[in-house]
Amino acid sequence: MLATATPIASEVPGREIRVALAGNPNCGKTSLFNALTGARQHVANYAGVTVERRSGSCTLGDNQFEIVDLPGTYSLSSYSPEERVAQDELTAAPDVVVVVVDSTQLQRHLVLLGQVMQTGVRLVLCLNMADEARAAGQKLDLPLMEKLLGFPVVETVGHRAQGVANLKEAIARVAAAPASPSRLVLGEAMDEALAAIRQHLPKASGAIFASDWMATRLLLDDRYYAGRIAGMPGGSVAIEKAREQRERLQARTGLDIAVFVSGCYSGFTQGLLREVCTQPCRPDARQLTDRLDAVLVHRLLGLPIFALVMYAIFWLTFKVGEIPMGWIESGVQWTAGALGGLWPAESPSLLRSLLVDGVIGGVGGVIVFLPNIVLLFLGLAFLEDTGYMARAAFLTDRLMHRFGLHGKSFIPMLSGFGCSVPGIMATRTLESHRDRIITMLVLPLMSCGARLTIWMLLIPAFFPPAWRAPMLWFVYAIGIVLALFLALILRKTLMRGDDSPFVMELPPYRLPTLRSVPIRMMERSGLYLRKAGTTILGISILLWAATSFPRPPSHAHVETARVESAAPVSSEAGSPSALDKLEYSVAGRIGHGLEPAFKPLGFDWKIVTAMIGAFAAKEVFVAQMGIVYSIADADKGSEGLRKVLARDYSPLVGFSLMLFLLVGMPCMATVAVTRRESGKWSYALLQLGGLTGIAYVLSLLVYQIGKLVV
Amino acid sequence: MAPAANGVEEPISSSLEDYLETIYLLVQEQGFARVKDVARARDVKAASVSIALRKLAELALVRYERREYIALTPDGEKAGRRVFSRHRLLTRFFEEVLSMKPEAASEQACVMEHSLTDEAMDRLVRFFEFLGTCPSVVESFKRCPLAQERAGKAALADAPRACTVCTKKNEESSMSLAELRPGQGAMVAKVGATGALRQRLLDMGILPETPIDVERVGLGGDPFWVRCQGARLALRRSEASSILVHAVEETAPAK
Repeated sequence: MLATATPIASEVPGREIRVALAGNPNCGKTSLFNALTGARQHVANYAGVTVERRSGSCTLGDNQFEIVDLPGTYSLSSYSPEERVAQDELTAAPDVVVVVVDSTQLQRHLVLLGQVMQTGVRLVLCLNMADEARAAGQKLDLPLMEKLLGFPVVETVGHRAQGVANLKEAIARVAAAPASPSRLVLGEAMDEALAAIRQHLPKASGAIFASDWMATRLLLDDRYYAGRIAGMPGGSVAIEKAREQRERLQARTGLDIAVFVSGCYSGFTQGLLREVCTQPCRPDARQLTDRLDAVLVHRLLGLPIFALVMYAIFWLTFKVGEIPMGWIESGVQWTAGALGGLWPAESPSLLRSLLVDGVIGGVGGVIVFLPNIVLLFLGLAFLEDTGYMARAAFLTDRLMHRFGLHGKSFIPMLSGFGCSVPGIMATRTLESHRDRIITMLVLPLMSCGARLTIWMLLIPAFFPPAWRAPMLWFVYAIGIVLALFLALILRKTLMRGDDSPFVMELPPYRLPTLRSVPIRMMERSGLYLRKAGTTILGISILLWAATSFPRPPSHAHVETARVESAAPVSSEAGSPSALDKLEYSVAGRIGHGLEPAFKPLGFDWKIVTAMIGAFAAKEVFVAQMGIVYSIADADKGSEGLRKVLARDYSPLVGFSLMLFLLVGMPCMATVAVTRRESGKWSYALLQLGGLTGIAYVLSLLVYQIGKLVV
Repeated sequence: MAPAANGVEEPISSSLEDYLETIYLLVQEQGFARVKDVARARDVKAASVSIALRKLAELALVRYERREYIALTPDGEKAGRRVFSRHRLLTRFFEEVLSMKPEAASEQACVMEHSLTDEAMDRLVRFFEFLGTCPSVVESFKRCPLAQERAGKAALADAPRACTVCTKKNEESSMSLAELRPGQGAMVAKVGATGALRQRLLDMGILPETPIDVERVGLGGDPFWVRCQGARLALRRSEASSILVHAVEETAPAK
């Protein structure tokens, strides 16, 4: 290890100290990061959820800390994107690295400490979840540990923000002192090999590239770093030396190099713990988790329980959600009434029409579903934070694997029931690129919360009460079956290849803290609200304009105040003047232009006009139908609109329409996020084109065959 | 070492044996051997051949017939045939069993044919005859990762599954994690996977000589739920079968 004499970080008063938090997944790093920075940040119990770079800042006295939360990684190798990101942050030479470990899992978690020690950075070891370790009876000699390691060791309880002040103080102390030489001992054979390689490492490119850690990367034949070193002067010599040492070690120990090196780190950890751990955790400390798992992951009961849990979440979402939905509906109705009342009745004011029909009609119809979204995300956040999500992946892997997916694909797809956008973002937990792309491509088939708006409008309009619940279930089921089927086809055609490894840690069950679940829920609901406030507002206005302009000359200024008229709406809505007006508008003209293509599916120009809006955002379909029929759906729910729909279209058209909206045309936001997450437009366009094509064929078949049968 | 003629144990040099072999071959092929034929076949000067022949004549292994023509005595013929059969057997062994290139195999045989003792040769002949009666052994060796050109230690871990004949025997000494039943514990012997999967398994704490327990197996036999170094891990059957373990006594079924 290098005894680097780099300048002292806080020599210059007020200089920012750059701190990186490193640690295994599930070590409580993120909640510690929250406690340090106070940043709103998502905490999960599901392995590898933090892939993005998150940073925040905090102060202690004169010191300003800039803190980066590294992705949770088991080691510093270069196989997964998380590991790559963590390594890159370390090569950027932060002033201090805090290695966060789960105090109850020291033997495994301290392996990462050994690797970070090799980089030669200034270090603080943070023993997180110290309360759990104490409760399990673990006793550590902290002063001895600090003496043996040569840097501060601090105990914390991240989710209760305990020990955070000590941690900050330790960081400041370490930053103010020169980096001390590492006291890492990996055994004679390994240390010799590293010394031999280190001699030949290019010195000019910074301390990290001349460190023991870089020598270890080369020894392990890490392609990523070998590639970078090879480009440096003298790099090829170092690589050659590493190859020699690798062969020597393998011949000498009879072990594969990766196994040997892992054994060295493990040996260091064992040696350290033998000295400092005066009493280990009781083996029965995690009995509660074992007892829960005996039931929750039971061979036969596991899946039924999982189905029940999901049913409970959906019940919460849609049944309990009805109550606040009622409040929001009346709020929207009141606002529309109050705003409309500012103008005299029968006023032809364009502004009034814009506000009442366009803005409130459009956005109001979307905000009504906020309780559903909030409750669904609440349920999912709870599942993630308790650790049940990983069990869900275990329970579903066999099924998902059969369709060429991964157990971990289940969670993003489940999130897709809320909204495809966070669902697609959640595919980052998948390690294999291929699994990610397949999951992303089929994910829009999970009927999202926005589409629920459509089902809530269409199902009661076309089906008798006894059929409504089975119909809703049927629509969701079609989406799921089609998604699995398409995943299998993709796996067998475009995305062929070996399965990615399914090796996953199942974290112990933990009660989610009162802080983390609401933070998560609010974050996600915020996404939805922002979408309602920005994209959907803009689109609503655009669509209002598209349906209002140009106005037919003969019917100008005959717009009546329909908001206040409740019961007679349906008869009035179909009045020739309103229809004429719409037909004359831009949207009507586009709808008319596309009508021939959609006629075989049973759709008329009004539906096509509304579907233009649905591409922008699925829920806009409802708002658009409302505008098409001049009914602000906030008024008395969607009853008026439903009556008109039931009058104008057959249930077969209704079903064909639902099928098309379920399968086809993922919304713009979905396509955009697929482009961003997959990194390629081709995947986003494949998703858009493929799903729409399939939807067209399915709706065509259903309508044409249905017409023959009915 | 080769027994000389007349039953007298007398060493003759490798180069003399080579001459005997060459003469034997020439006689077999064309019915006669001349000094210049021998010189050409061995790529040496005629004078060198004469010196060697004189020595062989002294040992009563060859005799000159007419001027240039050489014949083998019965003892000489026996010795020549012996060297040649060794050569042929070794060449075939290197070529057919060890998959060496024909030229390299023949060259190697030329060196070894002289140094093998009769006992080693005899055993080798018997082993080779055994391989002839049991060709599946050669086949399974050729399929084995250990027979591949750049076989490392990792190949050793994969080897037991390559041989169909011996699979059963190998299973007794070590088995894969996938063969354990829920509630059974074992000690990790080898982590046989490669690349990202192996690194992940090692990072998760699955290291040689670490105890590992199978706690449960999913419905239908997949995935596996194991406990290692205090962590609960889920892995698929295919991944579990890349981890070799030594069985230890069964853990108590009720926890």
